[in-house]
Amino acid sequence: MKLVGRPVRRREDERILRGRTRYLDDIDPPGAAHVAFARSPFAHARIGGVEVPAPSAGVLAVITAADIDGRVTDLPVQGFEGGEVSAEGHPVLARDEVRYAGQPVAAVLAESRALAEDAAELVEIDYEPLDPVLEARASEVTMSRWHRVSGDVDGAFAAAAHVVRASHQLPRLAPVPMEPRGAIASYDEAGDMLTVWVSAQDSHRQLAGLAKVLDRPEESIHVIVPDVGGAFGSKGAPAPETMLVAAAAMATGRTVKWTEDREENFVASYQGRGMEADVELALDEDATILAIRARIWADLGGYLMPTTAIPTHTTAMLMCGVYDVQAADVEVVGRRTNKVPTGPYRGAGRPEAAYFVECTVDVAARELGIDPLELRRRNLIREFPYRTALGWTYDSGDYARCLDRAVELVKPERHSDEERVVGTGFGMYVERAGGQFETAEAELLPNGKLLVRSGSSPHGQGHDTTFAQVAAERFRVGLEDVELRFGDSKEVPRGVGTFASRSVAMGGSAVLQAVDALKEQCDAVSARLGGNPSLRDIAKAEPRLKASARFESDLVFSSGAYGAVVEIERATGRLRVLRIAAIDDAGTIVNPLLAEGQVIGGVAQGLGECLVEEAAYDEQGNPTFASFVGYSLLTAAEMPPVLAAFVESPSPLNPLGAKGIGEGGSIGTPASVANAVADALGGVRVDPPFTEDKLWRALRQETA
Amino acid sequence: MKPPPFEYEAPSSVEEALPLLGLDSTVLAGGQSLVPLLNLRLAQPELIVDINGIAELDYIRAEDGTLRIGAMTRQVTLERSELVKERWPLLSKAIGLVGHAQIRSRGTVGGSVAHADPAAELPVALTALGARFHLRSPGGTRPVDAADFFLGPLYTVREPDELLVEVEVPEPIDGAGSGFAEHARTHGDFATAGAAAIMAPGVHAAVVLLGAGPMPVRAEAAERALTGGAEPREAAALSAQDVEDEHRRALCTELARRAIEEAMA
Repeated sequence: MKLVGRPVRRREDERILRGRTRYLDDIDPPGAAHVAFARSPFAHARIGGVEVPAPSAGVLAVITAADIDGRVTDLPVQGFEGGEVSAEGHPVLARDEVRYAGQPVAAVLAESRALAEDAAELVEIDYEPLDPVLEARASEVTMSRWHRVSGDVDGAFAAAAHVVRASHQLPRLAPVPMEPRGAIASYDEAGDMLTVWVSAQDSHRQLAGLAKVLDRPEESIHVIVPDVGGAFGSKGAPAPETMLVAAAAMATGRTVKWTEDREENFVASYQGRGMEADVELALDEDATILAIRARIWADLGGYLMPTTAIPTHTTAMLMCGVYDVQAADVEVVGRRTNKVPTGPYRGAGRPEAAYFVECTVDVAARELGIDPLELRRRNLIREFPYRTALGWTYDSGDYARCLDRAVELVKPERHSDEERVVGTGFGMYVERAGGQFETAEAELLPNGKLLVRSGSSPHGQGHDTTFAQVAAERFRVGLEDVELRFGDSKEVPRGVGTFASRSVAMGGSAVLQAVDALKEQCDAVSARLGGNPSLRDIAKAEPRLKASARFESDLVFSSGAYGAVVEIERATGRLRVLRIAAIDDAGTIVNPLLAEGQVIGGVAQGLGECLVEEAAYDEQGNPTFASFVGYSLLTAAEMPPVLAAFVESPSPLNPLGAKGIGEGGSIGTPASVANAVADALGGVRVDPPFTEDKLWRALRQETA
Repeated sequence: MKPPPFEYEAPSSVEEALPLLGLDSTVLAGGQSLVPLLNLRLAQPELIVDINGIAELDYIRAEDGTLRIGAMTRQVTLERSELVKERWPLLSKAIGLVGHAQIRSRGTVGGSVAHADPAAELPVALTALGARFHLRSPGGTRPVDAADFFLGPLYTVREPDELLVEVEVPEPIDGAGSGFAEHARTHGDFATAGAAAIMAPGVHAAVVLLGAGPMPVRAEAAERALTGGAEPREAAALSAQDVEDEHRRALCTELARRAIEEAMA
């Protein structure tokens, strides 16, 4: 039966909604010791010394950097192609310096979390405050750099009929998953086996990180990822706190548990965005884009988390956007600042690129006096595969059709009266998705059912449904005959993980191939047995039939066009987004219901970024957003109608033809809303969040 | 986010509660502000006096036209009161804007008043209504006018040994209408600005602003202008003239206009 392409409801939801789940904090090993961290109250300070409190009832240990010296290394740093990345990995505990408010300096182990927090308050840390650096451009320490020049950029600018310049800035954002981070570790000395339960996007990167930091063979570590209540990128790279929990379990012999609270999550979980750019476009008299120049600064924070530098590379590589630009000069520098590190957050470099490019295109259209849609249409890439000036190859797409559909659905409006101004804007995007490899194993169970072990694991995406659709269709059984398993490093094959909108294209393709291989084995047994044996008969005749697959491919490139209509109230500056058209091309859609859910969720996050979200720091580098009093998330009441539609240009790079849909909403929304706001303001540009005071002042500028 | 250690008492009557109050104790009513403050360790009282068990403080009744609300009355009870909706609609309008439904089902009327958060709706509405707050101590009970009660953010005239026991709202003025308008970043979030208005054209006008200062701010110039027959827009412009920040002034002015127009509709 055809299952791929059907809007099957999430089959994991009944279990989740009935509370039959097991999140990290639901795991309560008897006798576990609880951890609380003493964290730096300063953005930048030298540590003179750490004095631990006198022993007290229920407090088991106070651990400082000196106690774990030689037993753990700093977190490893991941580089990227063509990038210079410094080796400023995050220390597990601060040694002689703290570089952001919230950095862990000491850890207290106690019989309860409350006792641990009490004792953490008594840890005396001798800080000598230093001046914090809070702006990427003002920082003198470069932690990552990438620069590529392709084509005759200078020639193009010299010959250009028009040169357009614009500067843009995106604030830092807190990911705010509903379930904060957490880890539990237990060490079996006799078997030299370390078991770590961790709320994470996958077991693989946690396992690799633990092995590296603790300098242990991977075989001696067992990582279990239970149900995960969201991550948005923030649970991909292993956390310093997880390393401390593991090291403490090994040192004390106790099972050790750390469940992060919301305040810790705000100050210590890595953040997203925090990039700014100066962009220049060279255009000829027909408004053909001849070349792009961009200088991008990223505010990376005090250290490099394993994946901190990756989004900067993604932004840089996507700076030609959806346009046929033959020459590009793009540089991105990641600077050290006294804030918590950044890292991948839903979109992870793509929303930045879309924002920088698409806002500059609108500035160009206004300066050249042509319709921004027309400027886009003249420059869109129309033939695939397309190799960009910066070196990535877009596999397939139909950008013009995406834009046409966005215009059709959003129904542009532009008018104003005494009370309000209304405008429309568009933002297009191309997104790198997939890449590397992913794994799966398919096994025929004695009862004739199909068991699939997937290297790719869910934290809210719906793998249990979409992967079952793929497996059931290929195996020609019902969805109820497919069981999926994820997240346990001893059970599932080694894979890469869930990020970069890669699960269906990579994990789904691995499932497809493993199931196909098992089907072939079953067919062979069936032929040998003769008649028309059931799967149960086959399993009886040939027990433990099993096949595995490792699917590998180049990057695939999703794309899309978003349109937004916004209204700004003159009296107050309040922005209302009236509607959003979201057109995404993620290749073949396995489940349109879940795909639309991903789009709507992404739009909500993108709109939050437009309307209210900003992880702001004061002049001393103190976070001013460290609770829901200071950091707002949108509610259903703020959500406009989202008119979502798909264009399906299958990817030639995988058997499903799939790309990625997890991030489109968060990529297309800020650029389109920003352009709509500028349209409503008559060309005055402000950067997000579009708070009422900024817009109110901009309105006065417009009418002045 | 675990509170520091504290002692805990749960008296079942006001008489039992009063001797427990003092400089080192904090009253726990609905806990919607106090519990987060404890968990963030911003509040570190030695003793928490939990008044949730004091049934005598949970009532809404009209006596001789005056509304009397016991301090432990849950906000949701006020929200659902037909009596309040009919006779003191400004309170119904304001209470619907307090946080989210979950917060209102636990939060109390007295807690909101005594906590005196400058972003809270109830103190603004009660100031506009000319309410009086009854404070009880071992020495007796004293009434304080809402206009004199709030001194600043989280700061009121209540002495540490006093318990807010009752909110008294005077009889509505014949023919008066009311309006409440506010602005928050998102639905249910803390208000950044707001206004409450009561209008009986030619007879009485009350305009109180939220977000124009560290406590509810009575817009007396606007009130005088309205009583003298000024248009809402004109009066609104007077209401926030002392607000320094230009945008905040514009915001308060607009919300005052909306509240006044609603009260006159």
